[in-house]
Amino acid sequence: MRLLIVEDDIAIQDFLQRALVEAGYQVDVASNAKTGELKALGGIHDAFIIDLGLPDMDGLDLIACLRAQASSAPVLILSARRSVDERVKGLEQGGDDYLTKPFALIELLARLRNLLRRSSSSQNESIRLQAADLQLDLVRHEARRGDHLLQLTKQEFALLEYLCRNAGRVVTRTMILDHVWHMRIDPATNVVDVHIYRLRSKVDQDAAKPLIHTIRGVGYVLKHV
Amino acid sequence: MSKLRTTAAWRISILTALAYAVGTAITFSIVYFSVANSIQERSDAWLSGEAAVLARVSTETPRDRLYSRAVREVAELAASELPKERNAAGQNLNAVFFLEQDPTDGQGPLWVGPSSNNVFLKAIGQAHPVSGAPQSIKVEGWRTSFRVVAQHEGERTIYLGLSGRGAAHTLQTLALRFLVAWGVTALLGFFISYKSAERTLQRVEQITETVARIGSEELGERLPEPNNLDEISRLAKTFNHMLDRIQTSVKQLRSVTDSVAHELKTPVTSIRGTLESALLEEPDDAWRNSVGEAIEGLDKLTHLLNTVLDLAEAEAGALSLDRRVVDLSDVVKQVVEIYQPAMAERQHELVIDLADHVVVVADVLLLNRVVNNLLENELAHLPAGCRIHIRLRSQQDSAELVVEDNGPGFPPDIIARAFERFVKGKYSPGHGLGLAFVDAVVQAHGGTIRISDLPNGGAMIILSLPVHGLEVPHEASEPIKSLKQVRNFAQTVSALPEEPR
Repeated sequence: MRLLIVEDDIAIQDFLQRALVEAGYQVDVASNAKTGELKALGGIHDAFIIDLGLPDMDGLDLIACLRAQASSAPVLILSARRSVDERVKGLEQGGDDYLTKPFALIELLARLRNLLRRSSSSQNESIRLQAADLQLDLVRHEARRGDHLLQLTKQEFALLEYLCRNAGRVVTRTMILDHVWHMRIDPATNVVDVHIYRLRSKVDQDAAKPLIHTIRGVGYVLKHV
Repeated sequence: MSKLRTTAAWRISILTALAYAVGTAITFSIVYFSVANSIQERSDAWLSGEAAVLARVSTETPRDRLYSRAVREVAELAASELPKERNAAGQNLNAVFFLEQDPTDGQGPLWVGPSSNNVFLKAIGQAHPVSGAPQSIKVEGWRTSFRVVAQHEGERTIYLGLSGRGAAHTLQTLALRFLVAWGVTALLGFFISYKSAERTLQRVEQITETVARIGSEELGERLPEPNNLDEISRLAKTFNHMLDRIQTSVKQLRSVTDSVAHELKTPVTSIRGTLESALLEEPDDAWRNSVGEAIEGLDKLTHLLNTVLDLAEAEAGALSLDRRVVDLSDVVKQVVEIYQPAMAERQHELVIDLADHVVVVADVLLLNRVVNNLLENELAHLPAGCRIHIRLRSQQDSAELVVEDNGPGFPPDIIARAFERFVKGKYSPGHGLGLAFVDAVVQAHGGTIRISDLPNGGAMIILSLPVHGLEVPHEASEPIKSLKQVRNFAQTVSALPEEPR
């Protein structure tokens, strides 16, 4: 998978490149729209990461240029603006995605994965999820830890399902709010943490090895250590 | 009808019609009285003239057997000079009588006139008319009074009387026609002024509607400016000038907040990114904790920064609202769901009482944040073990969300300024921006928010959003659903174990 990052801030460019290479992508970078457009001409990229505030052109115009050249690779937009422009929302409905700065690297990676899969092929839905000795039956809405049936509320099940689908990968609080409750809000209080504590007390209570872990400063991960 | 009565067009036309009615009534009365006067003058002149003629005839005619016949003929001739005023039945309305009394000649009075003379003699006897001056005399059995003139010639007295019946009939007809014309004029006046006022005020109404729409959404829109230079066109022009200025300042503000956001967030983004990469690579737990703490600090800073920028835009009316049909009860339900465990953790009792289908046209993302801020406020400020009551009701033309608790209430020194930026209680953990943002968003939607302390402790926040303008088509709510579907799909596929290579 080959990506093109168009971002004028060198520091951001840098850590993005490192993190993406680390995650196994091949990465090209451009510091302005002109270079970005030239590099994209080859049509070798599977996805673009484009900053909206470029020095020589608006990021959205660059996207329009790329689309005009029949490039169908998905775009992940980075924007410093908080209240997102309708045009960006429009792009999101068109299959592209956006992130507001500052963003969690983890979330960027997750969104990128979604974009790449969305663009490549459709997936059949599984009805059963498993992580270590945790089993989720998505049809009957049942969760088992070993032989023990967990008594979960609807939201707890949805949360566990989301963690389980991302087993081994860290998810942030915003990602949880976005995926489990479909809300892009940013609570200052610890509302999401409380959901996790409650879920953890049910999932990990009697088990020898805990599954749900907190990564301070980042989020949560469901994994078997 | 009651709605019609509150319109300015109604008031204006009522006043105009009233002025019309009074004006025409005065004109008609003046005409009526001068006509009545001149009719009387004319009949009086005739009476005096004829009475003088008859007096001369009576003096000059010798008192023989033919005397009474000669006088009678002259009197009848005089009566026939009058225009024959007849009523619908053909009856002559002019009744004339002639009476000559001469106590010296020993004969009875000489009488020319209708029916028996007894009633007339009696009436004249009572009235004692002065010589030469016509006078009105009421005669028994006659509806209208007689104008009577007396002429004294020595011992003899001649009376000539003319019934006012004809004049009265003429005046009555005149008055009736006046009345009809008056009614028609007043009605016509009302109708014409109502129509013209309505037409004029419709243009004002159009301006009001357009400005209301522009105010809350699209600042680029302008009022149409007709070519004529009447007051309403000038109003439209003035509004357009004002909108130009507002648009410019909103644009400036947006560009300022954009550059502030860009300048501040770019370094935060790179710092956060670098820290996060380090955190994910670093195996040492103690070290990771410190980095995690730093990231959390950065996130708090970002949160504050975002809130300040959002608030600056919201308070300047520069929020771009993406209005859609939204069921407020769904929004509240969803946010409450997120907060429920945290509330339970603090031993708060949540009482949720939501009416179904409370539909407003609003920006759903902003509404989410409004409800979020309200609940966050409760969570942050209440001591453990309180009771929070959330009520949602559909009022006649608004949706009302009430959040009530039995906590300590708002501190008295901030209750009046609770919606101002950075105003917060001494021990409040927040930045004092939450309610300010709620207020700004609610105002941008044309709603209101009130806060108060309850008499027996606790605080109450009443948020009311207008439900007008539901003409936004239902299809408009589709994108949100599809967005959700996209997310659901994304969520499904992200579970698959494939790693990109």
